Amino acid sequence: MSDTPNAPAESAPRTTPRGAGKSVPIFSIGRVYTIASSTVTQLVRMKTFYFLLAFALVVVAVGNFNIPATPAKELSMIKKVAFGTMDIFAWLFAIVATALLIPKDVEDRTLYTILSKPVRRIEYLLGKLGGVLSVIAISLVAMYAICAVVIFSRESLFVAAEYDSMKASGQYTAAEIEEQLSLIQQQGLRAELGIAVLASFFKASVVAAVTIFLSTFASSSLFTIIVSILLFLIGHAHHMASSFWLDESGNSVVVQMMVKVIKILIPNYQLFSFSEGIVQGEAVVAALVWQMGGLTAGYLVVFLLLSLLVFVDKEF
Amino acid sequence: MSEPAVEVKNLTKVFSLGLKKDYVVAVDNLSFEVKAGEVYGLIGPNGSGKSTTMKVVLGLMAASKGSAKVFGLDSGDIRARNEIGFLPENPYFYKHLSGAETLRFYGKLCGMKGAALKDRIGELLKLVDLEGAANRRLGGYSKGMLQRIGLAQSLIQNPRLVILDEPTAGVDPVGSRQIRDLIMRLRDEGYTVFLCSHLLEQVQEVCDRVGIIFKGRMRREGTLDELIEIENQTSMTIENATPELIAEINELIRSRAGARVVEEGHSRTSLEHLFIQIAERSREEKS
Repeated sequence: MSDTPNAPAESAPRTTPRGAGKSVPIFSIGRVYTIASSTVTQLVRMKTFYFLLAFALVVVAVGNFNIPATPAKELSMIKKVAFGTMDIFAWLFAIVATALLIPKDVEDRTLYTILSKPVRRIEYLLGKLGGVLSVIAISLVAMYAICAVVIFSRESLFVAAEYDSMKASGQYTAAEIEEQLSLIQQQGLRAELGIAVLASFFKASVVAAVTIFLSTFASSSLFTIIVSILLFLIGHAHHMASSFWLDESGNSVVVQMMVKVIKILIPNYQLFSFSEGIVQGEAVVAALVWQMGGLTAGYLVVFLLLSLLVFVDKEF
Repeated sequence: MSEPAVEVKNLTKVFSLGLKKDYVVAVDNLSFEVKAGEVYGLIGPNGSGKSTTMKVVLGLMAASKGSAKVFGLDSGDIRARNEIGFLPENPYFYKHLSGAETLRFYGKLCGMKGAALKDRIGELLKLVDLEGAANRRLGGYSKGMLQRIGLAQSLIQNPRLVILDEPTAGVDPVGSRQIRDLIMRLRDEGYTVFLCSHLLEQVQEVCDRVGIIFKGRMRREGTLDELIEIENQTSMTIENATPELIAEINELIRSRAGARVVEEGHSRTSLEHLFIQIAERSREEKS
């Protein structure tokens, strides 16, 4: 098109004509991938990764804090704070990022142009969720890398100092030195810590799925964020609620039923806290990890189906 | 007779208001057809039901009663969307994407890929005169540029039907004229264009047929000539007429029983035309 209003007509380019009845596959992984990758680009270009800087600052600050304790305890403390912060950042990011996506698409009318193409609503939802989960996974890997660098550098420092000190005193045998060093290393960087990161990913994935469900009917991002955080907190009180309302015989049947319904509707986030033990150096039970993976997948499927139920007939 | 591009039959759309039993009838027993290859304009004031009708045709809303079909397919059928390109009013695409990335995104959603998609993106960027801004993010686009990239997006999968909701809303007269030129080119190329607008001059310039909707009901429908002609009046535009010639013509008219001159004066251009001429002249002087 020319800027001149009366410019000579240039023909609108046409490719091979398509038939109106051209079939559309029941499900297209290509369309899901397109929406997911666009979501990743969107979150990256919204500069959401800036929070990694804040995380790095926290971890580096903790890593350089001199705690009056044994090296092993100090390492344990660093890991506790670093992995705890990582977990908080992951679920908080899952809530905020997910809550912004669908309401923003509706508000900006971007959704109109997407759904007026041959895109099924389940593909749109899956794409959005897939995009958020990808960004969470990338963030967790980056946060883990930051933690690993800090923990490893402190561990190396402690091991070297302890070795020099024990060796210089001349009171310890090689076996005793080895034993002492292994105690420190046990609280240092170990492959099992990766499982703790996976646990945080599982938890953040469920949080994202719940948030996407809420955002399919919420009128604003703020509402979605607040309710998601509330559900997250309630989800950590499953055990307490059970022991207080279900195990006490004095409570009415109505209250007991309500607690049971809430327990079914709201994911039990306490179950994902198994990562705390791993961070503290406890052994990893492979079966538990598989079980949690299965539970996460189950929650994702359930909340996606619920989201679809709301979203499939939603009018824009 | 070829299949209509859009066929709306007895369409009614009712919105309930919250939990109360109140409701609003946005579209009331509306029927019309958009023939393949024509430019059809649905005009009406704000809140008359134009956008609701469009959303039903696009499958973004379900009809409370009646039906909407696109090339014979129910508008809710996803296959119908292969043949629809849609430009919403005030389109806000993903601001983080560039013009070329936006077209690639929508192309991929339509199942396009590889060289075919790349070529199509190039063609459309050229068509809407945004080749120079292809790699600029949409956040930096002007209103007119957004509108043009929106139009390119609507054409990406080469649909037979292009639906435009207030295509020139908020665009300056020059940008508005560019979009109108493009709509006419689309018609010349055999696309069917269905547009909603309350800008009457725009509709008058580009539409073959027009439907006038008010409070959800079709009030008048027909070709532009049918709608705007005044059957018992004739206008003439004379160039270089001397006052004597005008006097003679007036005398002749007066001498015929029942005939009279209703209006006389110099022909006028519209303010919009004048503005565009000045803008063009300024641009030429600059270059």
